[in-house]
Amino acid sequence: MLKSGFLGKRLLIVAALAAATAATLPAEAKTKITMMHQGTADWVQTYKQVAAEFEAANPDYEVELIYAPHDSYNEKLGAAITAKQLPDIIELDAPFLANYAWSKYVVPISPYIDPAILADMTASNVAQGTYPIDNKLYAIGLADSSIVLYGNRKYLEQIGARIPTGVDDAWTREELEAVMAKLAKVDGVKWPLDLFRGYGIKSEWVTYAFSTVLQSMGCDLIDRKTWKATGTLDSEPCVKATKMLQDWAKAGMVVPQSAGTNQFYAAGNPAALAMGGHWFYAEAQKTMGDNIVVMPLPKFGDKAVSPNGTWIWAITSAAKNPEAAGKFLSYFLASKTLRDQARSQSAYPGLKSFAASSPLYAPGGAMAVAFDQADKTAVARPPHPAYPTITVAFMEAMDTIFNGGDPKKALNKAARKIDEEIEDNAGYPPFGTK
Amino acid sequence: MSEMALPTTDKRTKLRIANREFRQELGMLMPALVLLAIFLVVPFLLSFWFSLTNERLVPRPVPASFIGLQNFQRVLSDPSFWNSLWNVIRFTLMVLPIQCGFALLTAVLINQKLPFRNLFRSLLFLPAISSMVIVCVIWSTLYQFPTGPLNSLLQGLTFGLAGPVDWLGDSAWSMPALVLLSAWQAYGFQMIVYLAGLQNISPELYDAAKIDGANAWQRFWHITMPGLKQTHVFVILITTIQAFKLFTQVNILTQGGPDGRTDTVVHYMIHSGFVEQKVGYASAVSIILFVIVLAVSLVQRRLMRDAS
Repeated sequence: MLKSGFLGKRLLIVAALAAATAATLPAEAKTKITMMHQGTADWVQTYKQVAAEFEAANPDYEVELIYAPHDSYNEKLGAAITAKQLPDIIELDAPFLANYAWSKYVVPISPYIDPAILADMTASNVAQGTYPIDNKLYAIGLADSSIVLYGNRKYLEQIGARIPTGVDDAWTREELEAVMAKLAKVDGVKWPLDLFRGYGIKSEWVTYAFSTVLQSMGCDLIDRKTWKATGTLDSEPCVKATKMLQDWAKAGMVVPQSAGTNQFYAAGNPAALAMGGHWFYAEAQKTMGDNIVVMPLPKFGDKAVSPNGTWIWAITSAAKNPEAAGKFLSYFLASKTLRDQARSQSAYPGLKSFAASSPLYAPGGAMAVAFDQADKTAVARPPHPAYPTITVAFMEAMDTIFNGGDPKKALNKAARKIDEEIEDNAGYPPFGTK
Repeated sequence: MSEMALPTTDKRTKLRIANREFRQELGMLMPALVLLAIFLVVPFLLSFWFSLTNERLVPRPVPASFIGLQNFQRVLSDPSFWNSLWNVIRFTLMVLPIQCGFALLTAVLINQKLPFRNLFRSLLFLPAISSMVIVCVIWSTLYQFPTGPLNSLLQGLTFGLAGPVDWLGDSAWSMPALVLLSAWQAYGFQMIVYLAGLQNISPELYDAAKIDGANAWQRFWHITMPGLKQTHVFVILITTIQAFKLFTQVNILTQGGPDGRTDTVVHYMIHSGFVEQKVGYASAVSIILFVIVLAVSLVQRRLMRDAS
């Protein structure tokens, strides 16, 4: 009796508390928008600030930000979908868009976004957000991305290397290898080239960076018409391309994985060239100043190729109020706070108005070459729902190849893994039928 | 009659009391049992079911279906799986003697009546209470190539003849490097268990041996080691099971590289489940790992029981 009385009292307190909490809630609920994102601490801070500004300007709305760390973002997103806790807006890595669009977790975004912003998108930005099956736009970003070849001006002048000025006169493979051989003998140079293996073997960087080498030499990760990897990924040009990278690593020309990602600008500048992302410019410029030369990616084979695609924003099918989500996204992309942060990180513009206010990428700017690449040489990673497996298979192959394994065998194994995945899903219809 | 009735009522009361006690105990156990069921038993049974389907992490327009033993067949015919299993076995064989040996050594040391004994005990236990993630980050700096402290030390000691060694990036060194750091982080637990075992050995045995003229080595070999028989069984079992579940160090430091030389079964499982999103396949891997660990533990127990 005493026990149950005690318990009863407890229950009463809980009930009273619940009633009190309910009473403090406003009578009419605000429209709530949830957004899942990744990013470093400064970006997280910026997102918080933009959300607060939006709430101040639109008192009827409430924005909830959900952070998930970069390295396990896709896993966290998958878990959110499984748990039926998909937020209204998600950030996603562009090559994974096809997977989410095919699974119908994201919806066409154009009806919800300010038309002025849609008209402001660069061609490459539209391409990274478009799902090839219905050719509709599913995601939008402020930024895009690219890779360029950074050079240490002092070293290059010392060996008298020709410095390309634009995409059209990029180094060829022979020219690059000759430069590397000369650089290897220069005092202070430990490694002629940094390929940023330091990002890790299971990093999207591997596919992002090295698939362009394959494409430049005349093959691809997967055939984009038949959607079969065998016969493409393990074809002769791909074997040749990866063998080239392997030979460089074997000869000690490339910064090893364990040496980190800062050898280009670290004390003494141990790395002379760096095939790095546009974001690397801000990082290196802090310590190197004018000593950096920005050059287009070399033309390894018959055509020049550069990558594109970055983290972009999509509205999910779980959004109860996609108009509200679109309203916030439009505000977000136009926000000065966001653009200032992006500019400070040497973000690669994906909106023309943002490009116009980014002197770094304007004609004459240090990164103008990179922006030029987007129009002339950019190739998106394969927009196919099997992309998660395509990229993992390729990463494994590159790990084997960089460590001395047989390129042909490694690529064949990867190609079979990709084809098996596609077969398991009955070809991911309607892919393969169109 | 009454003499007969009394014990019966007594029995009944006893039974009633026992019954009530049982219900009370059950009530108190309930929260733990429910949590165990929700977070251990149900997921375990679910993974059995998933392993027979092509369940995906992200639900797809095509619903998951029953595919029989196809996942198991694929796992067992994937060379990467066998490679990861072989790596785990290599890791276990290396880490077991180092970790347990060091734990026993330190336990014997801090069991002596030395000054500042408690200080040494705490210091030696420190790595065990620090997070593996933090230990990994610190050791990654130590292992750094080519200018990390370990490489500087190596080059200094050999006057520049040896090294620098790419500890985590070299296919010959990456596994030993992980073994060393894992043993260092985890030996504290085994040390405490050994310490408890040592304190269970009666000091009189040592006194008697001393009188009989046994030296320190003989006392260790003929009193300490046999006295720790049960402790050995426990320590070796626990260390083996932990070693088979190697994941954190690999995930942070090498991601399975170089060329799969440090890939482990758990890493392989997480990778196929969360990155490649094949939950059914990953469940099959987890079932296989469960069977392997169970078999290894049973064999070990049997062997050590026979030995004693």
